[in-house]
Amino acid sequence: MKRVFGDRKTILILLGPTLVIYVLLKIVPVMWSLGLSFFDGNSLSGFTFTGFANFGRFFTDPIAIQSLWVSIIFALLATGGQIILGYLLALLYVFVLRKGSAFIRTAVFFPMVLPTVAVALLFRNLVSVGQNQGPINDIINLFGGKSVEFLASSVGTMAVALVMTYWSSMGFYAVLLYTGLLDIPDEVIESARLDGANGLRLVRHIVVPLSMPILISSIIFSFNSTLKVFDSLLALNNGGPGTSTTPLTLYMFQTAFNYSDYGYASTIALMLTILCLLFTLAIFRSSSRKAEA
Amino acid sequence: MITRRSRRTLVAVSLAAVTAVTLAACSSGSGASSGNAASGKDPKAFTVLTANENPTLTAELKELASGACSAENKALPLKSQTVAQADVVQKVTLLASQNALPVHFIAGTAMVTPSGDLGKNGLVLNYEKELKKLGVWDDILPGAASTVTSVYGQMVSLPYQYNIEGIWFNKKIFDKLGLSEPTTFDELMADAGKIKDAGYTPFATDGKDAWPVTRLIGDYIFRSMGPDAMKDVQDGKAKLTDAKYVKAAAAIQQMAQDGYFGQGFVSTDAATATNAFLTGKAAMMYDGSWLLSNINDKSQDIIGSDNVGLMPFPAVAGGKGSIDQWPANAGAAMAMNPKDYGPKVGQWLKCIANNYGALALKKDGVVSGFKINKTVTNVDGPTKMVQKKVSDIKQTVLWFEALMDAKSTSLAQSNVSLLTTGQMTPKTYMSQLQASIDANK
Amino acid sequence: MTTMKTMAEPILTSTPSGRARSRRALRIVRRIPVWIIVAVLLIVVLYPQFWMIMGSFKTQTEFLSNPTWSLPQHWDLSNYIDALTRGNVAVNYRNSILVTIPAVCLIVLFGVAAGYALEVMIWRGRNSVLLLILAGIMVPGQMILVPLFTFYFKIGITDSLWPMIITYTVDGLPLATFLMAAYFRSVPREVFEASTMDGAGALRSFFTIGLPLMRNAILTIALVEFFSVWNDLLVALTFTTDPSLATIQVGLLSLNDQYGSTQYGPLFAAVSINIVALLIVFVFLNKKIMSGLAAGSLKG
Repeated sequence: MKRVFGDRKTILILLGPTLVIYVLLKIVPVMWSLGLSFFDGNSLSGFTFTGFANFGRFFTDPIAIQSLWVSIIFALLATGGQIILGYLLALLYVFVLRKGSAFIRTAVFFPMVLPTVAVALLFRNLVSVGQNQGPINDIINLFGGKSVEFLASSVGTMAVALVMTYWSSMGFYAVLLYTGLLDIPDEVIESARLDGANGLRLVRHIVVPLSMPILISSIIFSFNSTLKVFDSLLALNNGGPGTSTTPLTLYMFQTAFNYSDYGYASTIALMLTILCLLFTLAIFRSSSRKAEA
Repeated sequence: MITRRSRRTLVAVSLAAVTAVTLAACSSGSGASSGNAASGKDPKAFTVLTANENPTLTAELKELASGACSAENKALPLKSQTVAQADVVQKVTLLASQNALPVHFIAGTAMVTPSGDLGKNGLVLNYEKELKKLGVWDDILPGAASTVTSVYGQMVSLPYQYNIEGIWFNKKIFDKLGLSEPTTFDELMADAGKIKDAGYTPFATDGKDAWPVTRLIGDYIFRSMGPDAMKDVQDGKAKLTDAKYVKAAAAIQQMAQDGYFGQGFVSTDAATATNAFLTGKAAMMYDGSWLLSNINDKSQDIIGSDNVGLMPFPAVAGGKGSIDQWPANAGAAMAMNPKDYGPKVGQWLKCIANNYGALALKKDGVVSGFKINKTVTNVDGPTKMVQKKVSDIKQTVLWFEALMDAKSTSLAQSNVSLLTTGQMTPKTYMSQLQASIDANK
Repeated sequence: MTTMKTMAEPILTSTPSGRARSRRALRIVRRIPVWIIVAVLLIVVLYPQFWMIMGSFKTQTEFLSNPTWSLPQHWDLSNYIDALTRGNVAVNYRNSILVTIPAVCLIVLFGVAAGYALEVMIWRGRNSVLLLILAGIMVPGQMILVPLFTFYFKIGITDSLWPMIITYTVDGLPLATFLMAAYFRSVPREVFEASTMDGAGALRSFFTIGLPLMRNAILTIALVEFFSVWNDLLVALTFTTDPSLATIQVGLLSLNDQYGSTQYGPLFAAVSINIVALLIVFVFLNKKIMSGLAAGSLKG
């Protein structure tokens, strides 16, 4: 068995192309970027070696620290919401709707398909105040409240950004997790039912553990993409008000491409990568501990 | 305890780090050559890089290529490329570092100044010298030339657009409320109060883009302390934290607190603000003369184009500036690469200088900084009005962030919404900005 | 997959004669919360898109002045014509298709193969390689734009769609590989080992067992990657030097004017065309997934 599944040639054929492309076009550029964090400047005006100065700068730069928190908070809230909503939807598809779920699945997935520019525009309009008030404020007025200008405050903007994220990606995670749930063998469910487990208990003790691999992968993927949120916070309110909803990616982008300071931008990118690494390791650690239990 | 596994990781990581630093060091050698000789070799084509969002310029140049400049085009064909406006700095830096800059290209404001990335690497042509050599220097309006030189420190941009800024106002509303054009800031505030009481929005404001608000701060400063007020800050002769500068920020904050910008202005975008003004819901709007294209569009301008007036930002009591110093800007920087400047490119330049003014006015109603060498008929009323004001200008002032570095510009704009909503005091706003300017000198 | 029983059994009433009727009634009542949830879900998800399509028929002034849910005054197509001519939408579509389909095919092809090699094949160092690939997901894509551009420029392909295709492939490979490895892990080893009993090699096992088994997963990943590439803005922006190379997302940007004013009508028209095209793709791919499910090809 080992000889068959350890066959070098097969491995090379299957893994080769991926590895070559990956190393050449991802690893090498990443190394180059990494090296840049020890320099200052840009490719036009040249680079000057500054050692660890950029790293020191990062920790004393108030905007950098603020961006760090924005990224972390957004990632935690967005991932939590997306995964929970996605999982609930997946459960809905599998257990409640069953065969009829195809249309709903498509419909709920569809917002994912829309360009971020359009979705941000949509939400800006939904929460607008003033002469052409959006539906959200209309509903608030209906219940007797005063119109709120969501995008004028950091909390408001963050809230709108999170809702926007949930709206567009819950369908995606639902499909992802749904595919994983489908793999659970019927016999297992049936026998658990016969043993008397149903409803919530069925979900908690049978379904969740069996869908762990895809759940963990989805959580990791979600963290990695929400930590690197870029389009939505930019398009919604340009990282404002002020810089209070500017995540690390946006700050890095501005530093590199608006202020032409590639060196410092690479440092920020490195910090972000380390952040992603820490989150991923934390999840791996806790999931392997759960598996041992 | 260092186990074998962790030692292996340590080795791998340090190897990676060394590789990284070496790679970076190797690749940094490109780019910065010091040539700034004005005449170079002619390229194979007249490559022009413009912004996606400004299709007018591309269209005009193409029209010139098939019309008035067809001879020059035959000698050196026009090839147009575009870039998204938000992406200009990135793209141009990238292209410049690969020696792939087009002949004529759009650039970021800070890039073309003498200390900017392009400026200090000798990648911007001195138009004044070349246009004088070609004998067409007087095709550039003096006002435009002085604006370009004040902003960029040198004549490195062609004024394809020349915009003045002021307060557009709805004549009908003013007549209805018995108001006349205010000449002082206090009068303007009093008028705004009356307008608000009558149920209109005093100023339609695009708070989302921030610069329409920082423009007001800048204008107040120029009226209060004279046209060189921001240059003094840049030169270190004055600080933004001086009392008079802080007063400007406070005055604008007061306008916002009094509700003169309308409800929800912080998240109002340009299209919404323009719509509010052109449908008569707002009595005034601070904007540039580029608003003409909206005003002349009958489907957008509901209040009628003869109902729209333009007045300058008023004077501030006891201030050193005067009301007829119009704020002006010459659009995005359109520079030329001196390395590609050969005789054929020179001929193109001459042809553009001769013909652009009249063509832009005739075809698109655009007011440019070029002289109008052919009479143009059928000009819309508002455009004619602006054209006249432009030709009467004797002195112009810049805008708040004109001389600031990219990072401070960004800070000025991102913090202004905190200022206007009362989340930041004028003193803090100015001191943060001053700190940024000092840090990025 | 065979149907699963409902979660809870209906409560029986006391009188035997009313049992059947009340059982049915209760079953309907029990379904009401479900219907409400589904209805709310659909409204939340579909209304905004409906709003956008409505907006595409309005003029700028109409859109900004009239209430949000009002119907357009005229159903004229001027915004669509505007988008197609000024917005260059046809060219953008062609480019988006020419870039997305090859990229997705490459991602899926290489990703599935790599996932199999990393999860099913047994060799030393496979965990490290998996971690390496995982690391790729963590790196922010923006940072490698500059070195990639330099590389493409040096080998002279910047005047084509290739930089985008290659970059998207590189971007999508780590995720595809990682997800495929996860899906492969959830299949018991015995399934693969059984296929090699009769002497077939691992490669053959990959093609005859692995691929068909993963049909669902492959289609899901293809779907995911398709939309991720189609909707990407940053990479397209960086590698587009010419308007004739612009994809849809870059094209949408040009519907703003240089002073930041958005032309809502043409923008929504372009997005609506986008929606229709993507709907077609989605329905097509979804049907494939459905037929795969029905054929029971999941369970070996």
